[in-house]
Amino acid sequence: MQVVITGCGRTGRALATRLDAEGDKVTVIELDDTLERGLPAGFRGRFVPGNGINPRVLKAAGIADAEAFVALTANDSANIVSARLARDIYRVPHVLARLHDPAHAPVYTEFGIPTVGSVQTTVNRIIQLLHHRTLEPHQTFGNGETLLVRSRVPAYLAGRRAGEFDVPGEIAVVELSRAGHSKIPEPSTPLEDGDVLSFIVAAASLGRLQSFLGERWS
Amino acid sequence: MRIIVIGGKGLAEQVADALHQAGDEVTVFDTEPGRESALAKAGLRAVRGDALVPSTLEAAGALRADVLVACTQSDEDNLVISLLAKKRFNVPRVIARVNDPANDELFTDLWGVDALVSPATALVSMIRQQS
Repeated sequence: MQVVITGCGRTGRALATRLDAEGDKVTVIELDDTLERGLPAGFRGRFVPGNGINPRVLKAAGIADAEAFVALTANDSANIVSARLARDIYRVPHVLARLHDPAHAPVYTEFGIPTVGSVQTTVNRIIQLLHHRTLEPHQTFGNGETLLVRSRVPAYLAGRRAGEFDVPGEIAVVELSRAGHSKIPEPSTPLEDGDVLSFIVAAASLGRLQSFLGERWS
Repeated sequence: MRIIVIGGKGLAEQVADALHQAGDEVTVFDTEPGRESALAKAGLRAVRGDALVPSTLEAAGALRADVLVACTQSDEDNLVISLLAKKRFNVPRVIARVNDPANDELFTDLWGVDALVSPATALVSMIRQQS
């Protein structure tokens, strides 16, 4: 895959190194040309000095042939500008941008740019590890705003119905495993001791799900 | 006219002050801290905050503005502010400042910019005309 990255800071450098090691064709655009030294000795990708919002610099980096573009500079507006150019002008199929300040999230959303939010992802993960250790997620979505978690149904809840866990906008029961078989339960499906349920839950509602399942807040 | 000028001290404030003197209703959206008292002294309505936060722009009156001037010292900020002004707030006239002439070509309707002000380019063309 041909990938163009803007920003050769800690994240840009680590991503470029990793993609290069996995055989991708990587080009890094960076305003500060001294940062080229930070790339590892065996790096086979290219380093293009310049501003990633400048169309001439983007073209020199091969944006027209890129399959993916990742904006990783420390400046949110620079990331928005270059990501939008990559997507709308150069028609790069996969465009991602880093979001630094969570307050800027609405701008990325407004312009339809998918983000990886460092702060939000870190906070969600820390809350998960501190407060919800017993509900280890099998999968997280977006920047950790929603999660897929599985939990054994405690004995005292046997006889309750699967739909009783549903909270619109917060918790949805999506799967039931019983005696080695899995099915999608109906809201009226009665639960049995030993059942394992899968939930899609909003990160902010993990505490609520935990209280439903009778787990203590730690 | 209702005009919002976005930027810190220097060009943005001078433009705002001149428009205010001419009788326009001017709001200065100051992106740098510590300028409020100077702006208030000049009789300007000042809002301090981050112009990349849509709710802050709205609080500054973006929905009612006739003109918005994106006049910060960052070209990428000016582009994003211009596009927000046009796309989200439907500001009839959006004017943006270009700091680096290498970025001139970006300042088009693609970013919601109706007119650009490029001090360096203006100066160069003036020198060319004179010689």
